[in-house]
Amino acid sequence: MGDKTDVWQGTLALMILKTLETMGPQHGYGLARRIEQTSGDLLQLNYGTLYPALLKLEQEGYVRSEWGVSDNNRKAKFYELTKAGQKQIRRATADWEQTTEILSRFLTPAEEA
Amino acid sequence: MSSFTASMRAFLIRLGRSVRSRRDASAFDEELAAHVAMHMEAGVAAGLSESEARRQALLKLGGAEQVRQAQRERAGLLWLENLLQDLRYGARTLRRAPGFAMTAIATVGLGIGACTAIFSLVNAVLIRSLPYGDPERLVYLFTPNPNLKIPAEVLCPGYGDYFDIRRENHSFASMSNLVQTRFSLDERGMVQKIGSARVDEDFFPTLEARPELGRAIGADDVQAGHEKVAVISHALWVSMFGGRPDVLQKSLTLDHANYRVIGVMAAEFEYPFGSDLPYGDSQIKSTQIWVPLVLTAAQRVEREPDNNVTIARLRPGVTVRTAQSEMAGIMARLVKQYPGDPKSEVGPMRQQWGALVKKFTDMSLGPVRPLLRLLVAAVVLVLLIACGNAANLLLARAAERARELGLRTALGAGRGRMVRQLLTESLLIGAAGCAVGIVLAYLFLRLLPRLDPGNIPRLNEASLDWRVLLVAVGAALFTSLFAGLLPAWRASRLELTEFLKAHGAQSGSSGHSRVQSGLIVAQTAMVVVLLAAAGLLIRSYVKVVSVDTGFSQSTVTFSVSLDDRYKKPEQQVAFFQQVTARLNALPGVIAAGAVNYLPLSNSESITLMHMDGSGSNINFEQAEARYVTPKYFEAMGIPLLAGRYLTDDDYSRKAGVTLINKRVADIYFLNRNPIGARISTDREADGWKDFNTVVGVVGDVRHMSLEEEAQPQMYYGNYQMNGAYVAVRATLPPAAIANEIRSTLKGIDAQLATTDIRTMGDWVSLASARRRFQTSLLTAFAGIALVLALVGLYGLMAFSVNRRTREVGIRMALGAERRDVLLLVMRNAGGLVGAGLVAGLACVWIVTRVMRSFLFGVSEHDPMTVAAVCVLMIVCGLMAALVPARRAASIEPMQALRTE
Repeated sequence: MGDKTDVWQGTLALMILKTLETMGPQHGYGLARRIEQTSGDLLQLNYGTLYPALLKLEQEGYVRSEWGVSDNNRKAKFYELTKAGQKQIRRATADWEQTTEILSRFLTPAEEA
Repeated sequence: MSSFTASMRAFLIRLGRSVRSRRDASAFDEELAAHVAMHMEAGVAAGLSESEARRQALLKLGGAEQVRQAQRERAGLLWLENLLQDLRYGARTLRRAPGFAMTAIATVGLGIGACTAIFSLVNAVLIRSLPYGDPERLVYLFTPNPNLKIPAEVLCPGYGDYFDIRRENHSFASMSNLVQTRFSLDERGMVQKIGSARVDEDFFPTLEARPELGRAIGADDVQAGHEKVAVISHALWVSMFGGRPDVLQKSLTLDHANYRVIGVMAAEFEYPFGSDLPYGDSQIKSTQIWVPLVLTAAQRVEREPDNNVTIARLRPGVTVRTAQSEMAGIMARLVKQYPGDPKSEVGPMRQQWGALVKKFTDMSLGPVRPLLRLLVAAVVLVLLIACGNAANLLLARAAERARELGLRTALGAGRGRMVRQLLTESLLIGAAGCAVGIVLAYLFLRLLPRLDPGNIPRLNEASLDWRVLLVAVGAALFTSLFAGLLPAWRASRLELTEFLKAHGAQSGSSGHSRVQSGLIVAQTAMVVVLLAAAGLLIRSYVKVVSVDTGFSQSTVTFSVSLDDRYKKPEQQVAFFQQVTARLNALPGVIAAGAVNYLPLSNSESITLMHMDGSGSNINFEQAEARYVTPKYFEAMGIPLLAGRYLTDDDYSRKAGVTLINKRVADIYFLNRNPIGARISTDREADGWKDFNTVVGVVGDVRHMSLEEEAQPQMYYGNYQMNGAYVAVRATLPPAAIANEIRSTLKGIDAQLATTDIRTMGDWVSLASARRRFQTSLLTAFAGIALVLALVGLYGLMAFSVNRRTREVGIRMALGAERRDVLLLVMRNAGGLVGAGLVAGLACVWIVTRVMRSFLFGVSEHDPMTVAAVCVLMIVCGLMAALVPARRAASIEPMQALRTE
C-alpha cells in the first residue's frame, strides 16, 4: 500500500498513549508530528483530530494535562501518561497483537497441515 | 481501572460538563493558538513565508472551527445539552403563556388522575395477589338442584357425599369444609359478635396459608373433646392481645366456653370475607377466629346439604371443566347409590342434586369485574378527551408560533430539532400533569372509604403502589406523545417558501385547521357516550331507590342472637316476649315486633309448601318462610290487604294460622278468596301434615334485593327463635330509639350483644350501595369529561376568533352587524357540537348494549336519557362558545384593521 491512509479509528488512542510512553510528557503539536514521523509518513493525519482524542483519554483517566513551557519558550498544554494509561497500553497492545495474529493466520498461507 | 470504569468516568465527566451551563472554551482556544503558533514557527524555520506557514498549519489542523466543534462535542454530551436547552426553552415559553400552560396541565392532570385512581382500584381488587397460595386453582364445589328456586351457588355437597367425592376424585389436590359462625367474644365483660368459621384440618393446607405464629388446626383438633382451640387473626391478636408473643398461652371466651389460642394468621388472611361468599352469612364481613369443625358419626354420612362451604384446590393442569365433569359423574352415581329419605323435606329431590365447580376468583370477583371494566372504559375515554384537549391547545400554540417556527427554520434549525423542541414542551406538560394526576388519585383514595359499597373485595386496600405509579407515568407519556406529535408533525411540514410568501398569515376560513375541528368532534362524541352511560345509570339508580320496598324506611331495627344459655324453647319464647313487650311499652313506640329473617339483610330461609286441595306437590312449590311476633307488620309498616294480622291469641292457642303475601295470593288464588285456605310446609312420609289456615294477606316485601320482584312469602306466629331482628316503629328520632333499645336489652340480659342497629332506610341504602358507587363514579367521570370538552371547545373558539380579528374587522367595515358576527362564531361552534353529537349518539346506540346488565327499569336506548344528553350537550356547547362569540362581536373594526 503506497497511499497514505486515514487513521483507523481507535488505533489513534493507542498511538497517542504509546508515543507518550516513549517520549514522556508532550504537547499536542509535538505528539502529532511524532505520530506522523513514526508512521513513516504513511498516515494522513489531521492534527485537529488529536485534540478530541486527547480529551477522551483524559476523561477516561489514561492521561492528564498541565500547562507548561515548550522548548522555544511558548506556553503549551502538556499531556502525560497516568498509571491507568500504562495499564491500558498493556491491555490494548495485547488485544491488538491478538487481533493481528488471528488476522495473519488468514492472510498468510498455512504452513502446517 | 478496567475499560468499563474508564468509560463510566468519561461519561460522568461529560455529564457534569453538560449540566453546568458554563463553558470553558477559552482554555482550548489558547491551546489551539499555541499549536498553530508552533506549527508556524516550524514552517518559517523551513523557509516558508509567515502567511504560507500559517495557511499550511491551519490546513494540516483541518480547520480551527471544525476542531473546536469536535472538541465541544467530546467535552460534553451533545444530546443532553440539546435536551436541557429544550427543557429550559420549553419551561420559559410555558412560563410566558401561563394561561395555556395551566389549562393544559389541569386538563392532562384530570385525565391522568382519573386513570390512576381507577387503576389503583383495579390493582387492589383484580391484580394484587391474594394470600391464598395460587388463587387461580382454588374452586368451590356446589350441588345445585333444579327443584329449588335458589341460586346454584348456595348449597355445597352434604358431608356424606363430600367424603365420597374426596375419596374418589382425581381432580383435586385437597378439599376442605368450613361453616361460618358468629361467636360472642367476651372481652373483660364486653360482649361482641365476631365473624368466625369452624374449619376442618384440611382448611389451611387447601388455602396454602400458614400461621405467622403457632400452628394451624390439625387432624387431632377436629376430634370430639379436643376442639376447644382457636386460631385467631392478626387484627384480633393486635387488638386483644397487644400483639404479644405470649398469646399462645392465652385463651378466649367464645359463647361462654374457653378456647385455647394455638395460632395467629398473617395480617391479610381473614378468609372468608363477606365478599368471598355471596350467599354466606351477611353479617360476617371478615373472619377473625377459626375453630375446629367437629362432625358426629351421623353427620359424616348425612347426604342432605348442610350449611357447610366446600372449597378445593385443583391439581396442577386440571381445568375447572374437567373437575366439573368428574364431580358430576361421582354425584350421579352417589344419588343412585344412596336414595333420598322420602320422609325428609328434600329427600324426594335427591335424584336431582347436581355438581357445579366454580372458580374461587369468579365467585368473589365475578360481579365486580364488569363494573371495573366499565370504570376503566370510562377513564380511558376521559384520558382520550384530555389528550385531545392537550393536542388542541398545542396545535393552537403552534399556529400562534408559526412565525417563530418559520423564522427558526429559515435560520437553519433542523426539522428533527424542531420536532424535538415541540415534543419536549408537551413532555413538560405531561410531567406536570402526571404530578397533578397523582395528587388527584391520592385525594380520591382518601375519599374512597366514604364511597366503599362494602361488597367489593379488598377495595379498602387500594393504594398508590409502584404499579399504579407506573400506570400514571405511562398515561402521562401517552398523553404527551399523542398531544405533542400532532403539532410537531404539522410544524415539521411547514413549507418555508410558503411561510415566507404568506408572511405567517393563516389560511382557511374558520381560522382553525381541520385537525383541530376533528379533535373537538371526537371529544364531543366521547363525552356524549359518557353522558349517556352516566344518564342511564342515574335513571336506573333513581328507579331502584324509589321502588316500593313494601316496608317503612323509618323503622329502626336491630339484631340480637341468643347464646347457649337459652337452649330451651321456652327460654327463647320468654326472651322475645319480654323484649317485644318492653319495647312496645316504651313511650313514643308505636309498634315493635321480631322476625327471624329481615328484608335486605342478606339472609334467607326457603320452605317447600303445599296448598290443600291442589293435588300432589310435583313442582316443589316454594315460599320464603318467616317467624314473626304479633306487632311485626305494624312495626315494619307492611300493609294488611285482606283478613287480619296475627294476634296474641293465635300464639297462645297455637292456632295453626298463617299469613301470605300478595304474590302467593296472586299466583295460587287468582279470583279466589285465599282467606280460609289451608297450606302445609311440613312434609312427612305419608303426605303433607300440619296444615295452617290463611287468616290474612299482607303486602309484598322485597327481601333479597331491591331489584328483584318480591317472592312468595309466608309468615307464622312464633316467639321461639335463637336469634332475630327486632323492628321498632316510633315517633322518636332513630338515635333516641337506638338508646332506648340498648338500655332495654341491657335491662333484660347485659351479656347479649345487640348489633346492626339501623333504620330500614339504612338497609335500603346498603342494598343500593354498589349501584350508588358505580353511578357516582361514572357521573363524576362524565362531568369531568364534559368540562374538559367544553374547555377544549372554548379554547378553539377563542383561538379562531383571535385569528380572525382582521377578517371580522373587514366584515364589519363592509356592513356586517354585530349579531351576524356573533352568529358566525356560534354557527361554527354549533356545527362542531352537532357533528360530535351525531357521532356520539351513533356510538351510544352500539356501546350502551354492553351496559344492559347495569341497568334497572330503563332500556339501553332510553329516549329520555338521550334527549337529556342532547340538550345538555347543546346548551353547554353554546355557552362555551358564547364568550368568544361575544368577544368577536365586540371587535372594533378600525382597530382590527390596524393590527397586522
